[in-house]
Amino acid sequence: MDTFAPVSQHTIGPFFPRTFFTEGDNDLTRLHAGAQPTARGEAILIRGRVTKEGGLPCINMILEAWQADAEGRFKHPADPEQHLADPDFLGWGRAWTDAEGHYEFRTLMPGGYDDPAGRRAPHVNLTVMGAGLMRRVLATLFFPDFTEANAADPLLVLVPEARRAKIVAVPEGERDGARVFRFDIHLRGGVEEETPFFED
Amino acid sequence: MDTNFPPPPFPDRFEPFPEGIEPAVPIEGYPNTWTHTPAQPLIRRPVTRTEATGPLELWRKLPCDESNLAVLGPGRMAQGQLMHMSGRILDEAGRPVRGAVVELWQANAAGRYYHPIDQRDAPLDPNFVGNGRVRTDEEGRYAFFTIKPGAYPVPVKDTWWRPPHVHFSVLGPSSLSRLVTQMYFPGDPMNEWDRILQSIPDAAARDRLVARQTHPAEVGDGWIAFTHDIVLRGRYATPEA
Repeated sequence: MDTFAPVSQHTIGPFFPRTFFTEGDNDLTRLHAGAQPTARGEAILIRGRVTKEGGLPCINMILEAWQADAEGRFKHPADPEQHLADPDFLGWGRAWTDAEGHYEFRTLMPGGYDDPAGRRAPHVNLTVMGAGLMRRVLATLFFPDFTEANAADPLLVLVPEARRAKIVAVPEGERDGARVFRFDIHLRGGVEEETPFFED
Repeated sequence: MDTNFPPPPFPDRFEPFPEGIEPAVPIEGYPNTWTHTPAQPLIRRPVTRTEATGPLELWRKLPCDESNLAVLGPGRMAQGQLMHMSGRILDEAGRPVRGAVVELWQANAAGRYYHPIDQRDAPLDPNFVGNGRVRTDEEGRYAFFTIKPGAYPVPVKDTWWRPPHVHFSVLGPSSLSRLVTQMYFPGDPMNEWDRILQSIPDAAARDRLVARQTHPAEVGDGWIAFTHDIVLRGRYATPEA
């Protein structure tokens, strides 16, 4: 069997087209702009700010979110229960940061699932790309609602204990009947400030 | 577009990146690489279902019918060298990745982007926006009709130039296969001086970012043509039936 080496990553640069974005791209609850949002699960908003060294905001960072549905399933052949996955939930969205570094996603509270690596707590995977990042950066967002599940999550336990709170989102009230969770991403700083990121 | 073919096969093995193919940072003359790149060691983690999966119906959310960047509308053709750009998206075993979403964006012939952030003093082309999106067919093929982008200076103290290049974003069947990269043109002296391309330590890996030009005899008289295959991360453990 021939082996082909994967093509190198490059920065997404400062000019990822605004024209690639349409209404609803940052909404994970809808299959497409014309679709109704799924009725399963609890709708939530995830909001935050992307900052660089010194806490300065990063403009035009591209964020992509991917997560399981409300029952912890994926509409994908790698999920043994894909036939039970929510048919109206896409689970993917894309957002960009404004001049103050702010981004927002609309989604629903994901479910946990059993994985060969261990029981995953509810989580959202976030990919961050932008000028100055030659490779994408991978973060995982956890929720404060699931203290016990978080304590046993096979990925969260790999994060040094003192840094774990950095990747648990912070409740920030409600908007339009949906709970809001804040998740700030600090790309570069000391061990106290920098968001814990995972290897690609 | 025919959307009736089955979902793509998905990789179930992800090896670490081979040595030397990922960019080395920080890059001199690219100050943002000093301030944006994480300083703390990345945390090694097992691949769980979230990392191994991805949206298989993304083409429903992101319309994949924009393959012609050169013609904005009837009688509205972009300025520049008309160019056909095609290739295949493959996995690490060389198998085609069908149904992948391929996004392309680039500067115009004068080296300026249609983007509010690009305020350089070079002409904008009223007939060129410069982005397209398609979905690969059953053989993993993509194709765009566009114009050759121009070079542009990087506005730092000791100015350097980006050679003509095309940005690619590929969304395959798994999160770990996600790829954002750039493609260069063969034989351009600026490639050797480009600090971004040269940040890839391995010479063979740099060569894999350079397209191949198609012989004029195969192209006809409408445009110049380049092909560029892109290998995504991941392998299928079992051959497809």
